[in-house]
Amino acid sequence: MSTVDWKNYEPVLIPDIKDLHKIDVYTKNGGYKAFESVLKDKDKWPDQKSVINEVKEANIRGRGGAGFNAGLKWSFMPPADGKPRYLACNGDESEPGTFKDRKIFEYNPHVFIEGALIAAYAMEITTIYVYIRGEYKVYIDMMNKAIQDAYDKGYIGKNILGSDYSVDFYVHSGAGAYICGEETSMLESLEGKRGYPRIKPPFPAQKGLWGRPTTINNIETLAHVTSVINKGADWFKSIGAENHPGPILYGISGHVNRPGVYELPSGIPVLDLINEVAGGMRNDKELKAVIPGGSSTPVLRADQLEGITMDADSLRTVGSMLGTAGLVVMDEDTDMVDVLWRIAHFYHHESCGQCTPCREGTGWLVKILLKIKNGEGEIKDLDLLLDITTQMEGRTICALADAAAWPVRYTITRFRNEFEARCKKSVHAIA
Amino acid sequence: MAYEFTKEDLKEIEKLKARYPEVKPVTLPALWIAQNRFGHVKPEVQKLVADTLGLPEAHVHGVATFYTQYYKEEKGKHVLDVCTCLSCQLCGGYDILEYLEEKLGIKTGQTTEDGMFTLNQVECLGACGYAPMLQVTNDNYVNNLTPEKVDKLIDSLKNGEKPEYEKIRMPQHKNT
Amino acid sequence: MPQVIIDGQAYEFEGQHKLLQFIQDLGKEVPFFCYHPSMSIPANCRQCMVKVGMYVKSRETGEYEIDDNGNKVIRWFPKLQTSCNVDVADDMVVHTQETDEEVRRAQKDNLEFILINHPLDCPICDQAGECPLQIQTYKYGPEGSRFEVKKVHKPKRVQLGPRVVLDAERCINCTRCTRFTEEISKTHQLTITSRGDKNYPITAPGREFDDPYSLNTVDICPVGALTSADFRFKARVWEMNQTPSIDITNGKGCNIDLWTRDNLVLRITPRFNEEVNDHWMPDEGREAYRIFNENRASKPKQKLDGEQILSSWNNAIATFNEQIEAHDKKDILFVGSPHASVEENYVLSKFANLVGLNPPVFTTHIEKGKGDGFLITDDLAPNTNGSRMLGFNELDEKALKNKVKNAKLVVLLSDHLVDRGVLNADDLDGKYLINFATNNSETTKLADLVIPITTAAEHAASYVNVDRRIQRTLPAKETRYTNRRLDLEMSEGRLDRYGTNFDNWVTEDNKVDCLPLWRFITEAANNSGLDLALTSGREIMEEISGNLASFEGVSYEIMDEQGGIQLSPDTKTAKTK
Repeated sequence: MSTVDWKNYEPVLIPDIKDLHKIDVYTKNGGYKAFESVLKDKDKWPDQKSVINEVKEANIRGRGGAGFNAGLKWSFMPPADGKPRYLACNGDESEPGTFKDRKIFEYNPHVFIEGALIAAYAMEITTIYVYIRGEYKVYIDMMNKAIQDAYDKGYIGKNILGSDYSVDFYVHSGAGAYICGEETSMLESLEGKRGYPRIKPPFPAQKGLWGRPTTINNIETLAHVTSVINKGADWFKSIGAENHPGPILYGISGHVNRPGVYELPSGIPVLDLINEVAGGMRNDKELKAVIPGGSSTPVLRADQLEGITMDADSLRTVGSMLGTAGLVVMDEDTDMVDVLWRIAHFYHHESCGQCTPCREGTGWLVKILLKIKNGEGEIKDLDLLLDITTQMEGRTICALADAAAWPVRYTITRFRNEFEARCKKSVHAIA
Repeated sequence: MAYEFTKEDLKEIEKLKARYPEVKPVTLPALWIAQNRFGHVKPEVQKLVADTLGLPEAHVHGVATFYTQYYKEEKGKHVLDVCTCLSCQLCGGYDILEYLEEKLGIKTGQTTEDGMFTLNQVECLGACGYAPMLQVTNDNYVNNLTPEKVDKLIDSLKNGEKPEYEKIRMPQHKNT
Repeated sequence: MPQVIIDGQAYEFEGQHKLLQFIQDLGKEVPFFCYHPSMSIPANCRQCMVKVGMYVKSRETGEYEIDDNGNKVIRWFPKLQTSCNVDVADDMVVHTQETDEEVRRAQKDNLEFILINHPLDCPICDQAGECPLQIQTYKYGPEGSRFEVKKVHKPKRVQLGPRVVLDAERCINCTRCTRFTEEISKTHQLTITSRGDKNYPITAPGREFDDPYSLNTVDICPVGALTSADFRFKARVWEMNQTPSIDITNGKGCNIDLWTRDNLVLRITPRFNEEVNDHWMPDEGREAYRIFNENRASKPKQKLDGEQILSSWNNAIATFNEQIEAHDKKDILFVGSPHASVEENYVLSKFANLVGLNPPVFTTHIEKGKGDGFLITDDLAPNTNGSRMLGFNELDEKALKNKVKNAKLVVLLSDHLVDRGVLNADDLDGKYLINFATNNSETTKLADLVIPITTAAEHAASYVNVDRRIQRTLPAKETRYTNRRLDLEMSEGRLDRYGTNFDNWVTEDNKVDCLPLWRFITEAANNSGLDLALTSGREIMEEISGNLASFEGVSYEIMDEQGGIQLSPDTKTAKTK
């Protein structure tokens, strides 16, 4: 297996340039050239389809967690019919362990705006909404400013840069609901409703916002589009893991010395990320476990990590996923029962309540886990928990039930001794 | 009391309406405007939003109760939303919460008698690398909390100073 | 023709179908809660899970791929599907709980989830006995409970509005009620509040659920979360008889069921008729059960020295005949009624003809602006068009008043003309008023002879609605002179046959001392030597359809088969054949 050369990687998504969030600085550093090129350079970009093909070729796998090829997703949009079509940019970022898109809003908002404009042009979209979680008030303000600047400079609005392409771009603020990061729930929230995920089909490309064709992309995904148009699909594919190429914003949190967001190639060895990038374990403790891509991705024991890299294929071999590439690192003192209870608490709190298995299952899980945490659980409760996860998984409209079930299943199976140690041996024998 | 939007609020709402093909999408932003104006979206305010937008009251109520950032009751002057989720839990979020409970003399979910502080435990706020942390009244985050930092925060809030935005540098950067 | 294979059986189909509805239409079953054929499909209860796959065809040859055993290869969908929102497609293969263990398991799992926070209080719940959750739990649910932690608690006994009570703990969040107010009644009065397992339906704070159709949410609630404030705790459903009937409180003629016990109508619920009311009815129509039970005219009354006293049927017949004979024909006025059935009006008119009188007159009972374009009509009477089609002289209120003033004997068929302000006591002063009446009123008080007749709950009779659809009722409760076990029109027990097979409650006082109009008129005619032999509503309708072109082809059989008959809309008046 070839190792990814990450030590010499220079960030391109959020490069180390002072005041890059200001539009003048951004344009001085080559900003909006990609967008201008797709609008004007008819030799290079004869039509919208050529843009889509380039993005498809780059294989930007959705950075929101699902990992679907962005260009392929764009190609599902039906032909334009002169009526409204929408791009909804997903900046809801609420999965525990995930805090990367905020860095784009703060440090380089225009690389995202430009990417979104390219996407919008390629899909002949008439309005772009960027949905940002309500807690990110600061970043909402920053994005509003950046979008206004881009309007003022003529990158957004009517007949952009003298072309016949026009598009509007608005920020829509959430108000505290993890589920609105689920793409169809986000559409409901954008439409001013309770964030209940929609049944699919119809898919958003057919019937999205207000029944019109809509594409939903993650913020980071769209930011990568700018680089792909600037530097080409081949450049993008040359970075990182073969099946999951390109730079990734890794969010590292937990018991490490230097937590934070790092822009590095995909496919980095997990242990390198922890020990070298993030400066190793805090207080020289031993590594116990890692959640590789946000709280829903199955936890991995330290002994499972040797040779595992941060890409979907490698993580799959040990039974986990890349998710949002938000790593949560846990040291030897971590109580896995407490951790799992807290994760279950999160999903219970955030279940929208629409589908039976999720509404009821998330609550049941957390109640049993609390019982175990308090030393009142029984061994049979562990098997009941595993049963409940099976009853929830794949039975609901959206994936929140799966996201709630996986951590329970894999934390228990991978740390079963710890859970059993917290359980009473048998209540019935004593009674 | 009767709640009314100011002319500026109404202007803002009109501006928002132009962003969407129908009125309903303005529900969330209008609730935000209302909450910024009145400090909460109690039933009377929900009704105001519904009437202003010409939408059913039940619809606005359903939306207001779905999203946790809308205050369906009056809160203290400063709402301290302490994250205890996963990364914050690992890095001492619960210690901070307990410290605040003791310091303010209230339990989580309660408001101090002088109406100054409401203390909440919240789910992930997306600041996992800067744990433990809290958010003050739906506004700025205060990161990498220690008891000393909490003391300072409470003192300055009592003095009417809201926390500044803490810019956290990308670890790979030297210039930003 | 495209075909779908369900549990190994192939079914051909045309057009678009949702799988769950398709399976139901075949007379088969898949359990469900949130799906309702007249509303949008949220697929949120997740109960109607089935396994769905497609036969695989080779891309090159277009032939079915065949496995080693010679069977067609099936590509199964990766997950079980909720059948409510799956479009039936050609070459689709479906396994329901009948044939598939995985499906059985999924449905059982789901019911376990639904039940963990449900109070399981069937013994004190009004819905018990007609509860989809209860029934489907018995059929498809888990046998025991593994839930040993605390249930979620929610508001109970919430008076949502004047007519509907909420128990949020029983709610399973199917959203049928909220969808009803959004999509059907369009009052938008209900929403789901909160999130996750704290969810429940509610009005906006401080608002009443006073939707004029609010009680439909009680009907469609698949659990006991929404119950009728009026009907609550009155009866267990298995104690009641269920009789199909027609709403007589307005001109729409919503198809309904009358629920009776001990010869009292205890509640009225809508009965599906796609052509008239779909699954719905206005709340007002449900109040009509009081008309059938309360303040009934029972036993004939006659005025003696200015005071009404109870009389006997023999006296009533004799007095009726005496008065007809005693008056000049020109002084006698027969008044028909849009509130009475086609048969009753016809009988009145037939008798008038027999004794050589003009046909009856009538006046409509219309309140302009009351209608809502849905199921509430301006017309407050169930049979205005029926009276018209019988060829009665339709008078406005003033004209009727004048007619009455000029008459000396007024024979009035159940229409409370004084109560509704068409006539007053002065108009009737010095006249002899014979009033065929179902209920006591200000009008009957002024009558010299009150002849109690049956209501729509006690006879078989037809009504022509505002859209000229003729529909009929069946007797639901016994009178002093009918017997459930002898009258073939009367239903025995609940239609679903889960209950007792007849109404064996026997409070004599609940049986009203009244007769169908045809019976009284027949007796009266025979008594005065006229030849008249009417025996039932059914035969009268046969006679009407034989005699009147406007009713041609109408019979009880066809009405029963087709849920009423749409009469020609351009038939303005009756023509005698």
